[in-house]
Amino acid sequence: MIQFLTMADAKKTVLFEKHSALTGKSQIVSFAGWLMPLWFKSQAREHEAVRKTAGLFDCTHMAVLGIRGKTAQDFLNILTTNDVSLLKPGKAQYSYILNFEGDIIDDVIIYCFADDNYMMVANAANEQKVKDWINEISNLKFEISKDSSPHSTKQIEIKDLKNPSLPDARVDIAIQGPVSAECLKNIFGADFGGIKPFTFMQAKTRDFDPAPAPHSCHNSGLACMPIPILKNDKQIPAERIQSKCGVDVIISRTGYTGAKIGFELFVHPSKAVQLWDVILEKGKNLNVIPCGLASRDSLRIEAGLPLYGHELAGEFNISPFQAGYGWAVKLQKPDFIGKKALIKKAVDFKTEVARLEFDGVKGIRPIRQFDGILNKNGVCIGHILSCAGVGDKQIMLSLIEKQYNIVDNSVGVYYLARNQSHIQQGRREKVNIGDSLTADLAGKVIERFEKF
Amino acid sequence: MFPENLYYTKDHEWAEISGNIAAVGITDYAQIALGEITFVELPAVNKQVGVHDILATAESSKAASDIYSPLTGQVTEVNNELSSKPELINQDCYKAGWICKIKISNPADKDKLMTVKEYEKYLGTL
Repeated sequence: MIQFLTMADAKKTVLFEKHSALTGKSQIVSFAGWLMPLWFKSQAREHEAVRKTAGLFDCTHMAVLGIRGKTAQDFLNILTTNDVSLLKPGKAQYSYILNFEGDIIDDVIIYCFADDNYMMVANAANEQKVKDWINEISNLKFEISKDSSPHSTKQIEIKDLKNPSLPDARVDIAIQGPVSAECLKNIFGADFGGIKPFTFMQAKTRDFDPAPAPHSCHNSGLACMPIPILKNDKQIPAERIQSKCGVDVIISRTGYTGAKIGFELFVHPSKAVQLWDVILEKGKNLNVIPCGLASRDSLRIEAGLPLYGHELAGEFNISPFQAGYGWAVKLQKPDFIGKKALIKKAVDFKTEVARLEFDGVKGIRPIRQFDGILNKNGVCIGHILSCAGVGDKQIMLSLIEKQYNIVDNSVGVYYLARNQSHIQQGRREKVNIGDSLTADLAGKVIERFEKF
Repeated sequence: MFPENLYYTKDHEWAEISGNIAAVGITDYAQIALGEITFVELPAVNKQVGVHDILATAESSKAASDIYSPLTGQVTEVNNELSSKPELINQDCYKAGWICKIKISNPADKDKLMTVKEYEKYLGTL
C-alpha cells in the first residue's frame, strides 16, 4: 500500500545512529541524498514543542562552505544578491545565488567572521550544484559589466567545511523555541537570549562530556566558562582565549521555524553527537524534544518561510520578488551575477507567493502541492506550493495572481486526482490559471508571514 | 506480533475471513509508516472490486496511500466512523480501524494471501 523509497545510495549524517535509536525504520527516509528521520514521536507533537518549549533538529546534512581571502567579500558580492559589505564580524545575512539568467540556484545564509573570512550555509539538496557553480565562477576571469575591471577570484580559498579532517570543520544543529536560550544556558552557563537575530557568537566552552577530567584549566572543580571569541562585533584576541580544553561552538540566532527565539549551533562533526546528547539531557526538564523533517516542514510553512524547489525556483521558476524577498536583492550593488535579468524580474511578475488557511485537518482531505487555487467565481488563479496541517487548520503557501493576495480574501481549492479512481471519475491531474472549476473546499488568504 | 487469524498482502492490507465475508484493513506496519492519518476515502457500498483494485485511500502528511483489495468481490459495508475519526486506523488498526467488508466471489483468491508467518518473514526482507 505504500511505495517505500529506495534508500540504497543515501548517506548517513553524523547523527544517524541517534535517529535510528529514537525512531522506527519506516520513519527514516531519503532526503536530498541523506537518511533523515521524518519524525520521532509525531509531527504534531514536535511542531507543538517548537511553539511551546523547544525542538532539536539535525541540520548536519546542510552544506557548509568556508570562503576566505583578500577578495572574499568581492567574490561573495558577485556571487550573491545581498550586500556582503553590510556584514560585520558576528553578523549573518540571507541571500540568493543566481545564474546569469537570474534564476535561483539556491538560497543561502552567509556568516561573517572577518572581511576576509566567511561561512556560507546552503541547502543539502543543492550542495553539489552550488559547489559546481562556485568552481565554474571562480575559474573565470570575467568582466561583469563594461564599467568594472575584470574580476579575478584567484586570491580566495573555498573549502567544504563539513570535511571532518579540517580542524575548523562545522556542521549545523538547530534548537528552536521559547526555552532554547534557557537550555543553552544550562549547557554553556551563558545567556544567549540577548543575541539579536542574524547575529552569532563564537565560543570556546568546556567539553560537553558531562564529567570532564580535571585539568589545569579547571579551578578547584569549576568548569571553564564559555569565552566569546566574537562579542559586540569585535574579535577577542586569540591570546586571551586561555582554555586548553574546550569545544569551539558557533551560536547563531538564526533558524528556519519562525520561532522568535532559536539558535543554530555549528560544531566540528566529531562533536555533533555529544552536542546532540547534551542538549537533550539539559533540555529534558524543559521539554526539549528531537524533531524530524515533517515538523521542520510544517513549522516553516506556518511561518511563511520558503523552501527551494517549492516557493523558490521549482516548477514555476519563482523569483525572490515573487517569494516576498525583494529586500535580499540589492539592485543598487554595482554588479552581481544575474543582476541584469533580475532587474526585469523585479517589476515583471504577475503571480506571487501567498499564505492561505483552510479549515480542519481530521476528516478533510489534505491539500497538496499543485492543487488549484480558485477565486470566488471558481476560476483558477494559481497553485499550491506547500501545505501542512497545523492544529485544526491547513496552512499553505501558494503562487497566485497578485491581485488576489489580500488578507481575508476568500479562495477555494480544487484537489487534483490522487489516483486512477479519481481520474476515472473525471478529476483532473493538472489545472492551469484561467480554468473554470468547482471548489472542493473554501479558505482564505492570510498574512504572508506569521508573527510569533 | 501480528494477529494470527488474519491473512496479509505485500501491500500491508489484512483480511479477516468468515465464510464468504472478509473484513479488510491495513496492518500496524502500514499505520506506523503512514503517521497520523487525517483522512480516509472509503469505497461506495456495492462497489465491485478485483484483487489489487484500489479499495480506499488513507492520507497523512507523509503520503496519500492507496489501499488495495486483497480479494475479488463486492463491498457490502464500510466503516463510516473513519470519515470523522480517521485516527482509528492508527489507534486500533485490526478492530475499530476496519475499513470495509467484502462479499467474496472468488474464494481461490485466499490462497494467494500470506499467513501471519509468511507476512512476518516478508517484513524482515523490507
